[in-house]
Amino acid sequence: MSRQTAVVLAAGEGTRLRPLTHNRPKPMLPAANRPILEHVLDALVETGVDEIVLVVGYKRDRVQNHFGPTYRNRPITYVRQDKQLGSGHALHKAEDTVSGSMLVVNGDTLIDPTIVADVSETFEDGDAAATLAVLDGPDPHEYGAVAVDGTTVTDLVEKPDAGDYRLINAGVYAFEQEIFDVIDSTPRSRGELALTESLGRLLAEQPVTAAETDGVWVDATYPWDLLELSREVLQSGVTALPERTQSVWIADSASVHDTATVQGPAVIGPDSEIGPGAVIGPTVALGRNVTVGANATVGRSVLDDDTRVGPGATLLDVVTGQDVRVGAGSVVPGGPGPVEVGEEIFQDRPLGALLADRVHAEGGVTVDPGTLVGPNATLRTGVTVSENVPADVEVRR
Amino acid sequence: MCGIIGCVGHGTETTDVLLDGLSTLDYRGYDSAGVALSNGTVDVVKRSGAIEDLVSAVEASPPTGPVGIGHTRWSTHGPPTDENAHPHVDCPGEVAVVHNGIIENYEALRERLRAAGHTFESDTDTEVIPHLIESERDDGADPETAVRRAVERLEGSFAVAAVLADSDAIFAARRDSPLVLGIDDGGDRRRYYLASDVPAFREYTDRVVYLDDGEFARLTPEDWTVTTLAGDRVEKPVDTVEWDPEETGKAGYDHFMAKEINEQPRALRQCLSERVDELDGEVSIGDLAYLNPRGVQLVAAGTSYHAALYGAQLFRAAGVPATAYLAHEYATGTPPIGDELVIGVTQSGETADTLSALREASARGARTLAVTNVVGSTAARECDDAFYIKAGPEIGVAATKTFASQLAALNTLTIGMVPSKDDREAIAALRDLPADVQQVLDESNAAAVAEQYLDSEAYFFIGRGLQYPVALEGALKMKEITYKHAEGFAAGELKHGPLALVTSETPVFAIVTGDGERAQKTIGNVKEVEARDAPVVAVTDGASDVSRYADHVLSIPESSPQTAAVLANVQLQLAAYHTAAKLGRPIDKPRNLAKSVTVE
Repeated sequence: MSRQTAVVLAAGEGTRLRPLTHNRPKPMLPAANRPILEHVLDALVETGVDEIVLVVGYKRDRVQNHFGPTYRNRPITYVRQDKQLGSGHALHKAEDTVSGSMLVVNGDTLIDPTIVADVSETFEDGDAAATLAVLDGPDPHEYGAVAVDGTTVTDLVEKPDAGDYRLINAGVYAFEQEIFDVIDSTPRSRGELALTESLGRLLAEQPVTAAETDGVWVDATYPWDLLELSREVLQSGVTALPERTQSVWIADSASVHDTATVQGPAVIGPDSEIGPGAVIGPTVALGRNVTVGANATVGRSVLDDDTRVGPGATLLDVVTGQDVRVGAGSVVPGGPGPVEVGEEIFQDRPLGALLADRVHAEGGVTVDPGTLVGPNATLRTGVTVSENVPADVEVRR
Repeated sequence: MCGIIGCVGHGTETTDVLLDGLSTLDYRGYDSAGVALSNGTVDVVKRSGAIEDLVSAVEASPPTGPVGIGHTRWSTHGPPTDENAHPHVDCPGEVAVVHNGIIENYEALRERLRAAGHTFESDTDTEVIPHLIESERDDGADPETAVRRAVERLEGSFAVAAVLADSDAIFAARRDSPLVLGIDDGGDRRRYYLASDVPAFREYTDRVVYLDDGEFARLTPEDWTVTTLAGDRVEKPVDTVEWDPEETGKAGYDHFMAKEINEQPRALRQCLSERVDELDGEVSIGDLAYLNPRGVQLVAAGTSYHAALYGAQLFRAAGVPATAYLAHEYATGTPPIGDELVIGVTQSGETADTLSALREASARGARTLAVTNVVGSTAARECDDAFYIKAGPEIGVAATKTFASQLAALNTLTIGMVPSKDDREAIAALRDLPADVQQVLDESNAAAVAEQYLDSEAYFFIGRGLQYPVALEGALKMKEITYKHAEGFAAGELKHGPLALVTSETPVFAIVTGDGERAQKTIGNVKEVEARDAPVVAVTDGASDVSRYADHVLSIPESSPQTAAVLANVQLQLAAYHTAAKLGRPIDKPRNLAKSVTVE
């Protein structure tokens, strides 16, 4: 019997991706031209899941508005996690909506159907109490490390400082109903409860299996990772739009001027308009209703819905939020540069700039490499900005 | 408003299918509901009150049969009681009928039937129909002929469906009231449906046949046929509907209205997609661009009338004489029509008043255009042209996203019909509109403002120019879902009377956008109400200094004058919604109201 219900955890903000998460949770950030969560749901639907439970919390309107009551004809039940108290707590909120075994996946990490299918098969073929997908590749010391004996999981350690680990936890699980009892009996630490804590308790008493997989798995932790995420999507071509020429996908409702150049891989979303002489690509994703004005250049960038790029502007290694306006002749020369995330500064990251939702850069603005500009900030004509620009401010010469 | 459902071919599941259909239809507003199943006898179960009351009655004594009809009623003749609920039956209980619309000659028919010995149990006009059928059967007619003859004797508007004890068919007919068939006959399967609205059976099939006036349908477990009332076969096209049944779910919101307010950015994207080209400064409206009207008359009712008032201003600003009329006034007092294009604005395309007005205009030789949300609706089919607002299905009785989409569609239509060199800014603003609405939704403080004024005696809304229809619509939303007294005024009209109502207990919502002459004059009116100690809530884009005179500000992003109206309206929708939610009102089904008013 195949797993037919999947619980998707989509309630968390993703604080290290601020200021892009000002108006929406991390699962709704773009992986190329579509939200990360849409790729996750695609992976589930394509492996035969026919009921989806979405646990929503932070800015849940955005998730609900985007997906509505169904996704690809699979009904969606929304469950609220009003306080984000960890992934175990989030899953527990879904208890009343699930009967029998279930798949559980993180809604904020890009995955493909292979991972889901591998977990399903391993779980169904054995008699383990739970199965989780494990990957050999990403650095186990930066993620959840998994120790195995054959295919049996022996230990789970979050971001181990040391130790010889090979595999990471991909955040894709299969559980029986009893996981809810295990979560119930797991003590919380500082009010929070991570799903891996409960999984640790479970594997101490019953067999938990690991499904080693070579499916796609890309987690965006920091702002520049969104460019990598987009590159991955463009490489695999899952844009859900028609391919016009080799690795160039353009929505039917988009319009590209005859004299504009689009270099693949690139995707241009619905209702977007590309003006005469503009150069788009390579490795560019434009969301819905984006305008790129005449003779503008956009390379290695992700421009989210409703972004407006004025004539003659140049944007390299840029991530924009929604409804961002970049005026004529503005320049973001591209990475690498120093990026300040929270209290930490990361040197030489491949980020030209991140412009959060509703940033308005007027004409002739220059943005230094690695700059994060907060939501609703206004950059007046001719300014040069660097480091981080807070939300709602006006920068003038 | 009343809802009809029927199905054949579901065997023992007939009751479940009917009840599901009725729950889907009940957004139309209802005060009683019932079902009738035929299986050698006719089993009828009906109740006043909510669908849940009917469900418990059905569980207590389950009706059985492979053929059935059901109905939700919204009272027009007689109060909501068990007796007045549909289906209605004949004397021996062998014919059951459901009906939407009004039988104008029912009193005469009832007297004649009474004289012939029939007894009546309800106050409804509908009950004459089963007795007419009974009387035809007594005269020897077969079931189908009996129903045909009964229908022929009816005057007025109706969608009728009937089942008989000795027949495995549903018979149905329509005149001026919508009726649609659902066809599910792949392979060996033969399942047929009929309903007043597609969502009632959309769960089972997406293939539909829209009945036209004067047509008669027969559904049996073997096949379906459509004929004229006289019996001539009509070849009907089978259409495929696109709407997803699950779109009728609340998607995690407490109310459909909240869902629909929040999905306005998406609805507007659908409305504007492939119609608005910013870089070329053009809109695309197909052949409508060549209509070149010398004048325009818009007809509509309710929220759509507010959209029509707005549309009339757009046409006039573009140099085309235009007037908006209330459809019910227009139908009975039609103004002179010369070269004017007559535009009917109706969300459902089934609003009886608007259809009457359009038919009146058509009869006088006018070219007609329907601006509607529903493909295949009566307005769309009867008018010379249709322009769709593409908002997707709206379930909440209080119109929200469809108003926003009507305004966007009327903008597109005006620019497309009457292009001018000043269009570029308006087109860019239209293209920005979905994102601007999203900004209002993200940043609105309407919930906190609403909290301050839950106990107010009345709410007033003022605006000028394009914001005047928005003031009217803001007040309509407030009264519809909060049951509080609310009125909208043209700001300049205040001192000509309404100012006498303004006190410290009556908050005034003032819509002030831009900083031109209109804004300055409205600010003058704001000062007038402030002097009467009324709390002022300014809805503004911040271009003027109105916030200095306001107790609260509901902000909208800067936009064009045309799109500012859409944005201001979102704030007023949220204010009404949060007021109603905090007052605990049944927001999706306000008392006494129905979604689309299909009787005049």
